[in-house]
Amino acid sequence: MNDATTLTLYLGAIGLLAIGIGGLVLARHLFRVVMALAIAEAGANLLLVLTGFRWDAVAPILTGADRAPMVDPVPQALVLTAIVIGVGVQALALALAIRLRQAYGTLDLRLIRARMAAEIDGAAGLAPAGSRDRPAGERPLPPPQPAALPGETRP
Amino acid sequence: MIALAVALPLLAAFLLPLTGPLRRIVGPATLLLVAAIALNAWPRAQVEPFTVAIGGFRPPLGILFYVDGVALLFVLAVAFSCLLLWPWNEEAGSRKHALTLLLAAGCSGLALSGDLFNIYVFYELVAVASYGLAAGAGSGRAYAAAFRYLVLSSLGSLLALVGIALIYHRTGTLNLAHLGELAPTLLNDPPGLAAFLLLLLGLGVKAELFPVNAWVPEVYAGAERRVSALLAGLVSKLAVLVLVRLLVLVFPTDEARTALLLLGTLGILSGELAAYRARDLARLLSWSSIGQLGIVFVAFAVPGEAGLVAGLAVALHHLVAKPALFLLADRWGGSLESLTGAGRGAPLAGALFVLFALSLIGVPPLPGFWAKFLVLSGLAAQEGGLWWTAAAVILATTVVEASYLFRVVGRLYARGAGGAPAPHATGPLTGAAVLGLVLILGGASAGPLGDALGRMAGQAADRAAYIGRVLPVRTIERPGTLTLNTAPEARP
Repeated sequence: MNDATTLTLYLGAIGLLAIGIGGLVLARHLFRVVMALAIAEAGANLLLVLTGFRWDAVAPILTGADRAPMVDPVPQALVLTAIVIGVGVQALALALAIRLRQAYGTLDLRLIRARMAAEIDGAAGLAPAGSRDRPAGERPLPPPQPAALPGETRP
Repeated sequence: MIALAVALPLLAAFLLPLTGPLRRIVGPATLLLVAAIALNAWPRAQVEPFTVAIGGFRPPLGILFYVDGVALLFVLAVAFSCLLLWPWNEEAGSRKHALTLLLAAGCSGLALSGDLFNIYVFYELVAVASYGLAAGAGSGRAYAAAFRYLVLSSLGSLLALVGIALIYHRTGTLNLAHLGELAPTLLNDPPGLAAFLLLLLGLGVKAELFPVNAWVPEVYAGAERRVSALLAGLVSKLAVLVLVRLLVLVFPTDEARTALLLLGTLGILSGELAAYRARDLARLLSWSSIGQLGIVFVAFAVPGEAGLVAGLAVALHHLVAKPALFLLADRWGGSLESLTGAGRGAPLAGALFVLFALSLIGVPPLPGFWAKFLVLSGLAAQEGGLWWTAAAVILATTVVEASYLFRVVGRLYARGAGGAPAPHATGPLTGAAVLGLVLILGGASAGPLGDALGRMAGQAADRAAYIGRVLPVRTIERPGTLTLNTAPEARP
């Protein structure tokens, strides 16, 4: 019974990791990305706890009385640290998402990515790079266009 | 004593708002103290590396700092890079001061740590500080780049954590020396290799390793140049240092080296070719940084001391050259066309750019030449197609590198439609000039510098000595007795 439960727990941990990583790859909405990160972290933490777990042992607290075998405390300490770090990073991600919403008015990751690329090009004074709709790929540099140079905007 | 190199910047970062009128000097003073502490320990560590058990608990149960020449060298590099790239122009008490101090604390911790989980914690500390710094420019593109960087980097940390779980599952320890002792019997198999690959991909995010470096150009283009310089110059090197410790101590296998060699070669190819296509200086430098980090990985893949010397040389050269180039790009951020004639208006900046470009390409007698020479001679001494492919790739991409860097230099000195960009501010220009001086001095004293690097690499490559220093004979006799959970019974 214990073996089956352990196996279920391991499968659950790996499943959570897979769901989280899948979500990270597939999600378009910023909040879903953060949620996927949280789920994947839960999976990794569960995996870490399971590495030190024993069915026939007690909680690793020294009472001085009995010498019963204890669960390995190291992974539990590690997971505690990892959870704290994870919470901090997720809070930071949400704060960044709020700022992004204020800056670009959207939470769609693909739109944000496109606008970011356009803004980087614009800040560098470049015409937008080639896209699927407008390929511009045969030369490493576009031909010099004296008229289009941002000469007017220079200080 | 040496633990203060981590503790002081950490304390200073959080106490910064409370320091009142001293706020302006607390940060730089802390970094100077860190440098002094590292210099103080320098002579002792050159003779014989030593360990510091935190809290007096002995390894493998206690955690420790391992102080050898390489670790101290990187602590010094952390202190000086952060001083040079300190946000002087921000108002006192700005969060960027605190974040830079946090970054310094995490980086020193990465250099000194001898324990896998502490490495994870310091890595996260560096990561969080760098998210804040990357978003610090306050523009939409900086937020977007920082968010994407955060997601990729957190995914990397997750993979590293799973790798750590796998290692702990099989060995029951996280101490690097104890792991090194157990690795030949417990980690020399496919799960062990999987753990290394997970750690490689996880820690490789910061080190700009090939498949997980998509964040590099957008973050470096969106962040302040100072931050790009810190991330490209310093943080990537510390992540590499951790990977090298793992490679030397825990995974000294051919498969691990091959993985590093392959990913490094792909990184060189993709980085340099993308840099060739770049249309603005900031992204050109970002892609070139990926290429240079690829050379670092290829160098460290070479077994033995030769690989370590070559890797250290390339890493240190990049640590000096890339921040200087980013500082010079401070006012040259526009498209390459807009740089026409910029070098004529700013002779010192132009000359420094040419100096660093020549060194990056590897023109003798600049240090970049010696670094690439060491890598190529290390590769040439190996048998096998993969090694020679890597050498050929490095030689071929040197031509590409020369092509795109000379294209920029040609633009800088071209005559024509004038209207040069605004002159550089004194801060970045002074920083670049100091780094230029370091580069020239390094080139002038290449001989003694090479000897010193050789000694440090010898120390770092000595696996048995590392294990012996951390774990006295007592625990070596019966490995695993001190941990509650050994491999067989932990399996489901």
